[in-house]
Amino acid sequence: MTLIALISSIVICCASLAYGFAQRGFTSFSIWILIFGAGWLFAVWQEWKWYSAVALFLATVASAFGLWFGFTPGWMFAGGIFALFAWDMSDFRQRLRLMAKDDNVRGIERRHLLRISLLALFGLFFASITMLVRVQFTFEWGVLLVFVILLGLGQLLGWLKK
Amino acid sequence: MCCEPLPCLSFNKVYRSILLAALVYILLLTGLITLRGEFIALAIPFVLYLLYGFWSAPEILDLHIERRLSHDRITPDSESIVTLTVINNGSDLEELFLEDRIPPHLTVRIGSPRHLILLPKGSSYTFSYTVTGPRGSYSFETIRAVATESFGLIRREQTIQTTERLFIFPEFRRLKHVSIRPRRTRVYAGSIPARVGGTGTEFFGVREYQFGDSPRTINWQVSARHEENLYSNEYQQERVADVGVVIDARIHANLFHTSQSIFEHAVTAAAALSDAFLNQGNRVGLLVYGSYLGYTLPGYGKVQRERIMQALAHAEVGASSVFAGLEHLSPRMFPPESQIVLISSLVDDDLNVLVQLRGRGYQVLVISPDPVKFELGFLPPSPQVDLAARVIRMERDLLIRRLERAGIHVIEWDVSLPLDQVVGPILMRQRRVL
Repeated sequence: MTLIALISSIVICCASLAYGFAQRGFTSFSIWILIFGAGWLFAVWQEWKWYSAVALFLATVASAFGLWFGFTPGWMFAGGIFALFAWDMSDFRQRLRLMAKDDNVRGIERRHLLRISLLALFGLFFASITMLVRVQFTFEWGVLLVFVILLGLGQLLGWLKK
Repeated sequence: MCCEPLPCLSFNKVYRSILLAALVYILLLTGLITLRGEFIALAIPFVLYLLYGFWSAPEILDLHIERRLSHDRITPDSESIVTLTVINNGSDLEELFLEDRIPPHLTVRIGSPRHLILLPKGSSYTFSYTVTGPRGSYSFETIRAVATESFGLIRREQTIQTTERLFIFPEFRRLKHVSIRPRRTRVYAGSIPARVGGTGTEFFGVREYQFGDSPRTINWQVSARHEENLYSNEYQQERVADVGVVIDARIHANLFHTSQSIFEHAVTAAAALSDAFLNQGNRVGLLVYGSYLGYTLPGYGKVQRERIMQALAHAEVGASSVFAGLEHLSPRMFPPESQIVLISSLVDDDLNVLVQLRGRGYQVLVISPDPVKFELGFLPPSPQVDLAARVIRMERDLLIRRLERAGIHVIEWDVSLPLDQVVGPILMRQRRVL
């Protein structure tokens, strides 16, 4: 079940990005994205644990790039969200290997898939809402965002120091 | 462990959070700098993922873990069932990874020492697995418990110290009786002829009738020849003796071609002999002679048997060239004129030390696992190998003959055959031989 979800999410992620890029004539980019997706699938087969982190970063950069150039946001969001989904699944798949044969693999798989799917749906929903309800990017919003970022960075540094 | 290498659990959990947080901040900053809401919208799923992870992070673990072994003393071919019960006294744990860290060299036969489970607050979980392994003493020291939330971003770890020990004793077949005749025996009644007249079963001599002698002991034939006196039969007293079992654990006497070791056979013999001597009521001590001298002080009975078996479970080969120091044995460990049983494949340098021991009045018996036959079993047959085997065999025969000339009884043991079948009958006959 997990493997199917992982492969599906990689395929959807790469296909969405590639289609979104191809729509605007970036065919060569689309081909590179498909090659990258094939590499990701190959990494799953070869169990290269590091690849999923790199793939998540690259897929997010590609989505951001597409949004910057005004490509269809739906495809770009799908690319980013399913990259996150695939990244989570590849880690979850490794955790499942720790399970013994008589452990409740199905139960844990089902619960995890339900949560990550709901999260992806919520993410997609909120992102779509954000795109629909375009709020004026005021100075106050900017200050709030800077504050949140600094607070988060401070927390992160503190955590790393520990 | 026999199963596949342990998968790494960490998966760099901290870096997962960092990567995700970094992506979120990059998107937010880009959105802020470019004043484009799309980037912030793209960051939303990542933020939700992070928030859920932090929100459902497990609290500090409060687990109570019990481990039970079905048998804490087994033999190499048998199994012990390890049962672990985990009780969660803390909060709900969405994913709890439990790993019973089993000592190296132990093999898991059935089940797994690792489990990934969901453990709600106040509930318990029990799992079992069976282990087996080679001779040795194994301590189960830690149980590792790692709890993570569903997304594996935050984890809490607890290592529980435990003290269970599993002894895997050498497996041996019991020897029915081992006849020895040391010069000195102890005062307690036993089964070893004490070279002293008294009550017993074996005829010792004839002496003048004394008041109190049973009429049954009167030797009428001798008495008939002497009109003035009656004569009684005297029987040999049977007592217990001091027996020191010495096991040769020197590398060059035990390790042969392609690291094949004859030592396990020596340990088996030591276990069988110690058991037999203790069953006969003797006071038995053990010396493992390897890189150091591992003493088990002499003692009687079941407790001593347990001590010796534990010492044999620990016994390992070590680097030591000759029996240096064996000629200066502690009288506490090996009382003068007692019985010494040496289990060794014998090397040339041992002759002098063993002759010295014999000269000091010890009754020395050598059980010698045959290293020539043992090593030949691992070598491809060829004229060179045959020639070498013949040369070594001649050298060994010469050494054994010299030892026997010095009054040391040597019993050769072809280790491809069981000890009780090969050596047992010879040891039982010794009563008449010595």
